[in-house]
Amino acid sequence: MAELGRAALIVSFVLALYAFVVGSVAARSKRRRLADSARNALIFAFFSTLIAAAILARALVQHNFTFQYVAQHTSRDLSTVYSLTAFWGGEEGSLLLWLLVLTGYAALAVTLNRRLLRDVVTWVVPVMGGIATFFSFMLVAVASPFVTIPRVVDGAGLVPSLQNPYMVAHPPLLYLGYVGLSVPFAFAAGAMLSGQTDERWIVATRRWTLAAWTFLGFGQLLGAHWAYLEVGWGGYYSWDPVEIAALMPWLVATAFLHSVMIQERKGMLRVWNMVLVAFAFNLSLFGTFLTRSGVVNSIHSFAKSSIGAWFLGMVVVSSLFSTALIIWRLPLLRARTKLESALSREAAFLYNNLLFVALCLTLLWGEVFPILTQYVDGYQRTMGRPYFDFFLRIFGLPLLLLMGIGPLVAWRRASGRALLRTLRWPLGASIIAGIALVSIGDGSSRPGLIAYTFSVFALTAIVVELVRGTRATGSLFELIGRNRRRYGGYIVHAAIVLFVIGVVGSSDYSTTRERQLAPGHSMTVDGYTVTYEGLSHSLSNTVSGSSVTTTAKLAVTGRMHLKMGTSSIDSSALGISRMVGVRTDWWRAEDLYAILDSVQGKGPTQTAFIIIEVEPLVNLIWIAGFIFLGGSLVAMWPDAREQRKLATRLSLARA
Amino acid sequence: MARSTRSPARLIVALSVAGVLAVFLVYTALTGTTPALQPSNLVGHPGTVSLTGKVVGQVTGDAHNPTGLHFELHNIQGKSPIVPIIYHGSVPDLFESGRDVNVTGELVGGSFVATALTTKCPSKYTAQV
Amino acid sequence: MIALIVGALIAVAAAVFVALPFLREPVALDDDIAGATPENERRLALMESRDRALAALKELEFDHRTGKIDDVDYRALVGPLRRAAAESLQELDRLSAAP
Repeated sequence: MAELGRAALIVSFVLALYAFVVGSVAARSKRRRLADSARNALIFAFFSTLIAAAILARALVQHNFTFQYVAQHTSRDLSTVYSLTAFWGGEEGSLLLWLLVLTGYAALAVTLNRRLLRDVVTWVVPVMGGIATFFSFMLVAVASPFVTIPRVVDGAGLVPSLQNPYMVAHPPLLYLGYVGLSVPFAFAAGAMLSGQTDERWIVATRRWTLAAWTFLGFGQLLGAHWAYLEVGWGGYYSWDPVEIAALMPWLVATAFLHSVMIQERKGMLRVWNMVLVAFAFNLSLFGTFLTRSGVVNSIHSFAKSSIGAWFLGMVVVSSLFSTALIIWRLPLLRARTKLESALSREAAFLYNNLLFVALCLTLLWGEVFPILTQYVDGYQRTMGRPYFDFFLRIFGLPLLLLMGIGPLVAWRRASGRALLRTLRWPLGASIIAGIALVSIGDGSSRPGLIAYTFSVFALTAIVVELVRGTRATGSLFELIGRNRRRYGGYIVHAAIVLFVIGVVGSSDYSTTRERQLAPGHSMTVDGYTVTYEGLSHSLSNTVSGSSVTTTAKLAVTGRMHLKMGTSSIDSSALGISRMVGVRTDWWRAEDLYAILDSVQGKGPTQTAFIIIEVEPLVNLIWIAGFIFLGGSLVAMWPDAREQRKLATRLSLARA
Repeated sequence: MARSTRSPARLIVALSVAGVLAVFLVYTALTGTTPALQPSNLVGHPGTVSLTGKVVGQVTGDAHNPTGLHFELHNIQGKSPIVPIIYHGSVPDLFESGRDVNVTGELVGGSFVATALTTKCPSKYTAQV
Repeated sequence: MIALIVGALIAVAAAVFVALPFLREPVALDDDIAGATPENERRLALMESRDRALAALKELEFDHRTGKIDDVDYRALVGPLRRAAAESLQELDRLSAAP
């Protein structure tokens, strides 16, 4: 069966190569049947990759340990669900997932657009074929999931910390996002290669970009939630290189989603949009390189592997290709209109773009700095948390402000007076909020206070915009229906603001106390009194070893009245891991977070070292995630008017 | 169409870039960076550093006692001297001998006094069969 | 053994699918990737600019109604936009009327 899998991947490789080479020839010489043939090759590459994926999935579920990959990442006692998630638990499997998603997206994109954007699609095929060639080559020649070994009795198993629902969702969502960015990139390249640099490629890929961006954003949020509950230090983000690797393309994609609106309206920023989409795609490749090569120190330790060098090569080739293409087509891309006023919605979009890109570049610098210092000085120097937090604030706070100003400023040229009049509500609300917050003690963190007032500003602005719009059209429903993209976007903005409030509350205003307690003793943290009542133990024996779970029982009074436990698990296989206790006060969106650090002594003098954290507003972060999804869905929703326009264009586009 | 020389866009971009660079230079001038080292190249770097290595030998003591938690670090790969570590604070999940960890602190006398300790997630991507 | 046969089948299916355009039309009268005719291209471009101008007008009206633009600026902006929309509409009519 492994042989069949390998054969299927070889077929994928040959087909991808065909799509790349023959597709380029066909596009260059404008030969229809040859172009269709290349497109068919790309489409079939999906099916052969699907067969390979199915074979691996089957081997995983059946615990077929003649597959080295299955032996490395599963064990007999692993459930079906987690055996399947082991698909992307290892390097070779995750590469296969990349290729599967890539060819799937490619097949769908070229099929849906084959008549509308024929000249562009004839170039999209070789571009996606080229990317697929790289990944299928890696799978065939460098990191094959179908290596066989003599049968072993049992496999190595999946690390217990990875056996949870997040492992099922987090990696695939990120991949759907990362790989999804290749579609707008391929269409942008196709537009430049075919000379059709008008807005058609943007309109065609708009929902693709939005979907990829949504997957990438939500996937990262899931990762943060996973860290919060599982890793057990009370935090959810640590500016780890792997985390930043996913954030960078997301920031650039956010900028791109905004700036394309300017291009659609005014034909401006075309060069900028090409640069952005290429940058986003290359960053997702670069992120994969950083994650897998082991080049930077990360808490997500992935072994130094040879595929890192290949990925770096691919990133270099892809970046050079994009740059050369843009420079070549510069004359075609030059804007025909200009920005009319520095005070307009177009200008606001431009400012937001600059801030997003600036933030991304500072993150990129922080990522590569250790690598550069390694070459210059012989040892790595790292930037550390303060660097990232500082620049997040410097660029993030103005972005927060812009989210409030943007919706209220007019297109083309806004009246200063009209703008000030419109802004009086958000301004007033934020000043009142600021005063109120200082009076309850939130002035303890100046960045936190600023962030809160800016958030109130932005939220009020969104509400004002919705109220005004509803008054003008008659109903909120109709308002949203008239322009789903815009109002879906406002819903997303509201989600982001809630997210910011949650992050600020749980970072700048959280309280931590740690104490060594004897049974019956308590400690007070913020508005809670936590009494340690004693320990309970449980033993479990599985095939992979035995483990002892020690649970500290706690009684909580104050803002919440409840009992909770927090545990420490000592497993023979892996050492000590913790299961933190988290209780949520939903009215406050606040979490009480308990960690059992260690137990000292035995018998009557036994004590437990307990850490209690109070995280205000932290649940707004997760709630915001769902609002984010909702807003995205609204923005992506099919529009009847747009469909009609597309149909007309389709009939004209056919020769 | 003649291109207007008055588009504010270019000016905005230029000013923004200049602004960002200024903030950037000021920041990096004022604050420092932290060396990220291994036991093999630790010597010769005074001040606070970040040290990554594999925990070897026995782990003794208690991180919450005044005497602290005592363990030793060795390069994850390759030859290196052994660096004794003294740590006070919270011990993270999965910490045990044989694990790859990262400590932040200073070399004081012959020992590395650590104020922060993190363990790396057991790798998903190494061959462990 | 089965794996070998299935593998061969996949490869053959791939080859057939790839060759399909040539199998369907061994001799093609028109093998050019024709996009739209120049006339249709012009029509498409005009439709785009008409749609863009009309959308911009609608935005302007809406911004005016919701108070983001005051009367002075509105009057200054609405004229050129209406003219641009009218021009595209006239061009389109001319194109449809022409033989």
